[in-house]
Amino acid sequence: MRFTHIFVLLTVCTLLSTITLMNSNNGDTEMQFATLNSELEATPGQPSNPTPLSAEASPAKFAIEIHQPDGPPMIELKVPDSDTAEAKIACSTCHSLREPDFSNKSDVALDQFHQGLKVSHGQLACYACHNPQDMGALRGADGSRIEFRNVISLCSQCHGKIAEAFAHGAHGGMNGFWDLSRGPQLKNNCIDCHAPHAPRYPKMIVGFKPHDRFLDLKDEHATHP
Amino acid sequence: MPPTPESQNKQSLPIAENVTRRAIVKGGFATLGASAFVAAVSPLRNATQYTSPAAFLQQHYTELSAEDKVDVIARLEAETKENYGADVQIADDRPIPGTKFVYAINLSVCNGNGKCVEACHRENNHDRSTNQSYIRVIEMPQGTMDLEQGSTTYSGTVPKDGKFYLPVQCQQCDAPPCVNACPVKATWKEEDGIVVVDYNWCIGCRYCEAACPYHARRFNWKKPEIPADEINPDQSYLSNRVRPVGVVEKCTFCLHRTRRGKLPACLEACPTGARVFGNILDKNSNIRWILENKRVYILKEELGTKPAFFYYFQ
Amino acid sequence: MSTTALQTRQQPSTLLSYPRFLARIAWLATDGSLAFYAWMTLLTAISLVGANAWASQVAGGMIATNMTDQVSWGLYIANFTFCVGLAAGGVMMVIPAYLYDDEEMHKVVIVGEGVAIAAIVMCILSVVVDLGRPDRFWHMLPGIGKFNWPISMLTWDIIVLNGYMVINLHVVGYLLYMHYLGRKPSPIWYIPFVFLSIFWAFSIHTVTAFLYCGLGGRPFWNTALLAPRFLASAFVSGPAFIILVMRVLRITSGYGAPPGPAQTLIRIIRVSMVVNLIMLFSELFTLFYTGGLHATSAKYLFFGLHGHSGLVAWIWAAMALNITGTILFFMKESMKRSWIRILACILCITGIWIEKGMGLIIPGFIPSTLHEVVEYSPSIVEWKVTAGVWAFGLLTLTLILKVIASVFTGRVSERSRFVSS
Repeated sequence: MRFTHIFVLLTVCTLLSTITLMNSNNGDTEMQFATLNSELEATPGQPSNPTPLSAEASPAKFAIEIHQPDGPPMIELKVPDSDTAEAKIACSTCHSLREPDFSNKSDVALDQFHQGLKVSHGQLACYACHNPQDMGALRGADGSRIEFRNVISLCSQCHGKIAEAFAHGAHGGMNGFWDLSRGPQLKNNCIDCHAPHAPRYPKMIVGFKPHDRFLDLKDEHATHP
Repeated sequence: MPPTPESQNKQSLPIAENVTRRAIVKGGFATLGASAFVAAVSPLRNATQYTSPAAFLQQHYTELSAEDKVDVIARLEAETKENYGADVQIADDRPIPGTKFVYAINLSVCNGNGKCVEACHRENNHDRSTNQSYIRVIEMPQGTMDLEQGSTTYSGTVPKDGKFYLPVQCQQCDAPPCVNACPVKATWKEEDGIVVVDYNWCIGCRYCEAACPYHARRFNWKKPEIPADEINPDQSYLSNRVRPVGVVEKCTFCLHRTRRGKLPACLEACPTGARVFGNILDKNSNIRWILENKRVYILKEELGTKPAFFYYFQ
Repeated sequence: MSTTALQTRQQPSTLLSYPRFLARIAWLATDGSLAFYAWMTLLTAISLVGANAWASQVAGGMIATNMTDQVSWGLYIANFTFCVGLAAGGVMMVIPAYLYDDEEMHKVVIVGEGVAIAAIVMCILSVVVDLGRPDRFWHMLPGIGKFNWPISMLTWDIIVLNGYMVINLHVVGYLLYMHYLGRKPSPIWYIPFVFLSIFWAFSIHTVTAFLYCGLGGRPFWNTALLAPRFLASAFVSGPAFIILVMRVLRITSGYGAPPGPAQTLIRIIRVSMVVNLIMLFSELFTLFYTGGLHATSAKYLFFGLHGHSGLVAWIWAAMALNITGTILFFMKESMKRSWIRILACILCITGIWIEKGMGLIIPGFIPSTLHEVVEYSPSIVEWKVTAGVWAFGLLTLTLILKVIASVFTGRVSERSRFVSS
């Protein structure tokens, strides 16, 4: 009886945490920035450059800062009748008690926990990315441990071309300064925009349209059939 | 009819009674006509409030001395305060030596959500009633680059199946037809590649608008309406200051931001990360990497306008 | 130099006689019958309506027009284009008169030049009313402002139009003044200018065509045939307009020309109109047979596009007017002073006004460069202003013709100091 109670609670909490995780790109949580590793950093231009077309880039005084996840996702417990109402529990709290199912690849089999979780990420099994030994970390393709903060490294194993584009500003966008001699540049990580379990970028609603003089919205629609 | 003998005798005094009467009638009609004309054009008195003597006599931007510019900017700030009730700072941002700005958009990820259009609208103090913006996004069917197949008036949920999205704004051409068209040199290309307009020199003939192949230019058909609290106070003379009525304006790659090292507003607003901006003269810049490594499409390249704006694919 | 008649008195100095000449023709130009006053009052009233509409447009912004960022030029520039043709065509009459020494043509030539002056006035007004900031007109003045010459075709147009007006004012003014003085005009003072004005007449219409056909982003205009088409249509609208003016002059003032010149004009019109229609056909063939992007505007113009067909009625009306007018011109009756001739002139002028104005300028913008279809039809304010421009042009023309008729019929000269009532 007690177990059923806990199961229900945990299911609710998992759902909540999944939603929190998916929404983390909204940036309402306190952001942690880490300086990009040296390979990705903008290199200062060479003063000895002979061609006049290549201007001498100003020395980069500021860094490209990439937002990182806070760490392993924690599951919030919101139990009205409990004295631990504000508590957060780690994934391992439950997972240490259960045997990992290495074969599972879909959300259909999740009949007890992670209810409502949509998994749509190729043919990946849960434990392709999650670490069965330690649910507080991710798992590289070679079985190595990857911290949640370094989620980019995990994604980059498969999405190498995207990672390369990301490193050159051609993916993922940015904010702040193009000129690093004047200010820093801020970038998102993969899961800021892509939900890890269903990474397809979500659909959006067009909210703002310029409308031309004399054309009410009805007329405007008639541009092309 | 031949002149009468009487009139020939009084050559030095060419006054005859009928002439006098006619002169009075003609004078009367002339006075009537003149006053009717004055009455007809009396609405012009309303127009004079837009133009102070100092504004009327203002010289071309490139001929203003440093002191002139201080005066002009002070006047423009005062005008904005008076007409819009907003305190603004108008700077005179000049090109950063050694920069040539280039823009690129990733057509593989742009989903046509229009956040860039809105960001431009707010950043550049556009007229609120028309939702004016320097950016237009065209929804295109996959499998063509023919703009005739596209639509700018799509709405609802995006991206739609089988469509891709092509945002178009000023391409800051290296051979800009608009600059050639201007009869009074009110628009020109600066050293960092940005084509600017001196809104206080433009005469509003709109020949540049006809010349531009990218629909990049906008005309102020009326005085822009912007509530005081929505005015972006961070302005520049050649960029987003509130434009006067009757002149042409255009995208300046947000020079009031980019010449201070910042990224353009449309780029920051893009949630898909499709937009890339940078200095093409810096060989380590993002933009250089894209042009060297990606497949690039240039809009209406066949026209020879040499855009500084590139579309690329993932 | 002086004629025998004048030798009896002391030769008046030009310094004195010229202002007197101006004063007298000004007096004369405003003198006339009741019908004349009614006509002038009507034109003045329409001009004032136009001036008022323009003033409100300046005060409230060009939102008063129906132009948009997609269709950024409208009725004003359309009318401008037609008037340039009228101005150019007016002087084409000079060619038979001077190149082929057709003596009879001389009487028509001066009328043609008068028409040219009035047409240029309308051109300049049409451009001024199209400006968003007419208060900054001085920015265009060479020397004071910044003149983007020789790069901008618009600066070329400003030069050739104003130059053309000056040349024609000189020729007309000089011939009138000499006739007024009773002297024979000295060829040195006008023949070179007459030849210059022939060259210049070609240039104003060619440059105006270049204004449009030089724009690579507007496929509909971007055709080498545009300037020749402009010239051919000018050779129709100019002479046709002069025929109408000559008819009105003959009825109202008795200033008539022998039938020869009008027949020459009609022969010119016949050839020009056929050439014009051939070039139009050639253009349309190229567009529609090839298809593709270049044909889109033509499709819109002739058949409508994506359910928009605002100009279809206009252009087919123009086609009908032009073809009917041409057929009428080829009828034998057109060589006589018949109503057919007058009707043919009116049909062709109207047809060309549409074809070259609304039918040429507006489709250049539809679809827009981003292929949006935003239609255009002129607003009430635009119609008022354009009517005002025409009324003022006709007012100018009436005054010029009045002076020409009075001086050349000998009703006023240096010897007759008084205006006979």
